[in-house]
Amino acid sequence: MGFALQLFFTGIGIGAIYALVALGFVLIYRATNVVNFAQGDFAMLGAFAMILLAVDLNWPYWLSIIITLAGLIVFGALFNLGVYYPLRHRSFLPVIISTIGASILLENGVLFAYGPAPQSLPGMFETQGFNIGGVFFDSQYLLILVVTVVMVALQYLFFERTLIGKKLQATSQDKEMASLLGIPVAMMIMLTFIYSATLGGLAGILVGPILFVSVGMGSSIALKAFAASIIGGFGDVTGAVVGGLALGVIETFGAAYISVPYKDGFAFLVLFVFLLIRPQGFFGERVAEKA
Amino acid sequence: MTSGSLITPGASGVISKAMLARGLYVVAALVSVGVANFAPFSAYSLNILMQASTYAIAVLGLTIVLGYTGQINLAQAAFFSLGAYSVALGTTEFGLVFFPALAIGIILACVAGAALGLTSLRLGGHYLAMVTISFQTMLSLVLINWVSLTHGPDGVLNILRPTLLAGYFTDSGHYLALCTAVLYLVGYLVWRLRRTKLGRAMQAVRDNELAAGVVGVDTYRTKVVAFTLSALLGGLGGGLFAGGFRYISPDQFTFSESVVFLTMSLLGGVRSPMGAGLGTGLLILLPEWLRFLKNIYLAVYGGAVILIMVFMPDGIWGFVTALWRRLFPIAPITTGEIAPLPLTQQVARADGSVILTVSQLSKHFGGLKAVDNVDLAIARNTVHALIGPNGSGKTTLLNVMSGLYAPTSGRIELDGRDVTRLAPHQRAGCGLGRTFQNIRLFGAMNVLDNVMVGAERPHNPAGHDASGLERQALAALEFVGLAARAHETVASLSYGHQRLLEIARALAGSPKLLLLDEPGAGLNHAEKEQLVWLLNRLKGHGLTICVIDHDMNIVEQVADRITVLNFGRRIAEGTPLEVLRNPTVVAAYLGEVRLATP
Amino acid sequence: MRTTRTAAVIVVFAWLGVWLPGASAAWAADALKIGMVAPLTGPGAFSGQLQSNGAKLAVAEVNMAGGVLGRPIELVTEDDQTTNPGAVLAFSKLAGDSDIPAFLGPIRSTQVHAIAPDVLKLGKPVMFGGTDPVLTHMGNLWLFRFRPNDTYSARVIADFGTNTLGKKKWAIVHSTDAFGTSGMKYLTESLKSLGINPVLIQGYSNNSQDFTPVALALKQSGAEVMGSYMTFEADVGILAKQLRQLGVNIAWVGSPSNATTNALKLAGPALYGTFAVADFNRDSGPAAKEFAAKYEAAYKVPPDIFASWAYDAVHVLAVALNNAKGVEPDKVRAAILEVNGYQGAEGTYRFDKNGDGLHGYNIIKNDNGTIAFDKHIDFND
Repeated sequence: MGFALQLFFTGIGIGAIYALVALGFVLIYRATNVVNFAQGDFAMLGAFAMILLAVDLNWPYWLSIIITLAGLIVFGALFNLGVYYPLRHRSFLPVIISTIGASILLENGVLFAYGPAPQSLPGMFETQGFNIGGVFFDSQYLLILVVTVVMVALQYLFFERTLIGKKLQATSQDKEMASLLGIPVAMMIMLTFIYSATLGGLAGILVGPILFVSVGMGSSIALKAFAASIIGGFGDVTGAVVGGLALGVIETFGAAYISVPYKDGFAFLVLFVFLLIRPQGFFGERVAEKA
Repeated sequence: MTSGSLITPGASGVISKAMLARGLYVVAALVSVGVANFAPFSAYSLNILMQASTYAIAVLGLTIVLGYTGQINLAQAAFFSLGAYSVALGTTEFGLVFFPALAIGIILACVAGAALGLTSLRLGGHYLAMVTISFQTMLSLVLINWVSLTHGPDGVLNILRPTLLAGYFTDSGHYLALCTAVLYLVGYLVWRLRRTKLGRAMQAVRDNELAAGVVGVDTYRTKVVAFTLSALLGGLGGGLFAGGFRYISPDQFTFSESVVFLTMSLLGGVRSPMGAGLGTGLLILLPEWLRFLKNIYLAVYGGAVILIMVFMPDGIWGFVTALWRRLFPIAPITTGEIAPLPLTQQVARADGSVILTVSQLSKHFGGLKAVDNVDLAIARNTVHALIGPNGSGKTTLLNVMSGLYAPTSGRIELDGRDVTRLAPHQRAGCGLGRTFQNIRLFGAMNVLDNVMVGAERPHNPAGHDASGLERQALAALEFVGLAARAHETVASLSYGHQRLLEIARALAGSPKLLLLDEPGAGLNHAEKEQLVWLLNRLKGHGLTICVIDHDMNIVEQVADRITVLNFGRRIAEGTPLEVLRNPTVVAAYLGEVRLATP
Repeated sequence: MRTTRTAAVIVVFAWLGVWLPGASAAWAADALKIGMVAPLTGPGAFSGQLQSNGAKLAVAEVNMAGGVLGRPIELVTEDDQTTNPGAVLAFSKLAGDSDIPAFLGPIRSTQVHAIAPDVLKLGKPVMFGGTDPVLTHMGNLWLFRFRPNDTYSARVIADFGTNTLGKKKWAIVHSTDAFGTSGMKYLTESLKSLGINPVLIQGYSNNSQDFTPVALALKQSGAEVMGSYMTFEADVGILAKQLRQLGVNIAWVGSPSNATTNALKLAGPALYGTFAVADFNRDSGPAAKEFAAKYEAAYKVPPDIFASWAYDAVHVLAVALNNAKGVEPDKVRAAILEVNGYQGAEGTYRFDKNGDGLHGYNIIKNDNGTIAFDKHIDFND
């Protein structure tokens, strides 16, 4: 029993990271119909920014977090302008490739600055964690879970209860109509990118202490987060969260009870099955093309 | 090309441009193969060229599935690895010689490709991309972990080259010549594919999958074939690669490699085989040239990809051809004598017999009853109009008739045949033609090819061979007055002419019944007059037409009978005179009962 | 008088200034080129930089001591991009230069395998750092190994854990890549020859983000000691932390990646008290100490395995070329094989007929964050 509980905790811990990154994917997708292959790199940038500020310059942890998030706000805007905006009227394929190019550029840029050796980022808390009944609860994982819950709740309130949130929803559902109603679509999309980038960066700041900060950390999370968002129901925010958590748990249990080396395969196997029998995922809706 | 083509490209001259291009290609191929075989290349150059040629073959696979058919394939490295491992294990473990092992690899890759293609039934776009990524990732894991079969991460050493001709190909130069010859052959075949029926079907799927189905293309089968061909070329490239480098290990065939293949095809221009060759060559040579940039060359490369996507979306070759187009615009073609369109394949008999029956048809979307128990009977050789306020279910009804939606209940019979459960392309095969409210043309194909797709619908009585169908297509174009512009791009046509093109496409399929969804939308007064004239001509030739439109002028001038829908239900039917004064109909449009003036 | 002397000094220096660059240019133009294939880009870029550092340090020392055959040596490096085709291209580019008599190859065994056919065809000596034992047992006369291969690391791990630490219940944790799998194989064999059957053999994919299942499996197996072949330090760090967190207290004798500076930084206290095999350790002998001091002076960071083997390779090559009195491949080859007792940073080189120069490993202990040399175990059979 203890084992299963331990595996479960670790599973939702890592699942929460997938969920945070998946949220970013889904938001950008809903607003622009584009899958951003560089989403994971936002996390990587957030983590490296923390290394620069909190480790190299030795600034206070909290201050570093705030500055990092501020930096990602700026970066999200630049990303939108450089990568998405010039291609906004084209089909999804050039944009996907452009985001892949951006990912390569970012990773190699950081590689040039920091080198390939993984870096260690201290966690938020001094204590590593607590042992309760034979199960170890890593404090950083607990933090991740708490932050994810808070973010999802805040996001719900923001999108459903504020005017700007509703405008963002409108833009993502029907750009043309929103524009006709006087909603500044380009600004809404800019906000979406900024928010997604910050969300990604936050994920990086949170997971960096656990996984260590390296240039490739983003891509490996991103692919799985993408799979998670499809399992949850692509385009659905709740789905992204549920999908992420579910994926983390499936992976961890699969590794423990079936095969550790094939751990990365479980995510994709589940995804494969879902795509074949229920492509809209748990919560998504089948969208038919208007003839 | 097609024999007996009616199109002569303007100038006289025994040797056409196409023949010249082909001749040059053959010469280039012979020269390349010769040079590869005999020139004393350094080991370095041989290795680069071997990598470039085998990779180019795999990238040509992406030209087919992505460039021609518009389906994203992020598993090309997986197919490449199937070919490579088959050759590797076949020659080292299973005692096979090179070519049989290569054949097995190609077969395995085809099976895998077909399987992935089959999953495209329900999915497209990002979902399909994820399926291919999943397959790629799982195969990579298997290659690493199934050690007893694949040797795991150690890889496979001492792969043998072909033993043919007493080991002639063991020499690297000769082997390179073999790879080069295969590349040129494959390149030619891929280029040729674009002008075949399958090629046009693929491009139709890419440009507008929905319209392609309705116009007669079996979109599902086309996609499966596209994936299979892409996998075939991936496997072929991989097998040749293994023989070239004689050592393979699983870390070479991961998802990143699939991304490399994709980038190569996009860089050069995904829609043409030239682009594939260009992109591959560039991306293999570029790191070599950029060696001086050492550490940051990958960052430069990433940045270059973004710039190319922004400024040259059709890749380098696409950019070059667009420039060429701008400098040398397409001249109007002169056609020979074009036989008139044989529309009168059915006896023109306005005898009141019914060609289409719709019985008790309903289409519900959850709680919304878009079409509610509608009956419709369209008589042969008449124009039947379908009108009603916005949201009354007209387009939905048309979509159910076309096969785009499955009806919730009810029956549709076309010329005595129950078509209720048939797929759109099968209905096109029964003689159902259709145009769309929002024009759905195949934007990347030229005018003639658009119409050819229509002509190539299953069981078209107008012809069974390419030249017969081309005649049919030209006749359809001539009917709407666009024959001289057959080689122009769709984008160069005005809106009104694009509408006419859509109609021509439908006509080329020798339809028994033509469904027109708001053909007058967006046309100016003069164009509408022309449309009315066209519809009357078609009626005169014996065609049966069902038209939706909001413009009562058009409806009054062409319709023999009108059916009126409101809230998904039929509220009136009869002659224009009867229907347009019917108070229920007026109320439906204006919201109140009014006395209509005679 | 003073002005005349100053003028004379100036004249002398000016004269030297004219000659020296000319002379050094002339000397440099006469340089003997040594080719090196190293990863300068791609995932291995970090190790490639260190390999360059080590090699360059040795080149400078050799030239300071008078060069080889009266000429200075010059390193010509080509980037292998950390891929197999990249390694093949890099090597074939260098091989095309007929002035190069010998080469330094990659540290990754799969890449050495990739270039092996071309090496055989070229017929010139290549010094490499990969530890796959097959590389010196496949009949290729031109490959010379400058790190002890994995049969030795396995035997040393098995010997140390069983005989020195006295533990009989073994677990093996290994990465599923080439390095990890082959290491696991040899360790299993070595343990068997000591009469021990491992109670758990657990593989994992590189860059696993979580080792909870592995830690739990170890706990359940009841193992007293773990031998590991892990490629990436990030994995070492995460596993070490999670072992502590989940209360798995087990002796650990790990592969060299457990003892690198980076591994220590990432794992912190989680690795205290564990052991590892390391082919390079600065306290293993006077030559190693000297190398470490010189490296640190030049590069401001302590050296590790990526630099040490390359350093040794350049030096041994210089010795061999001088002994062979020429660049003829067969003579150079014979000279390398005759090297017996050369004290390098990695250890004492004694080339056997297969081309393996080293036959043992150091055991180091992680003593509260410092790497302490424990002992050296050699197998000279």
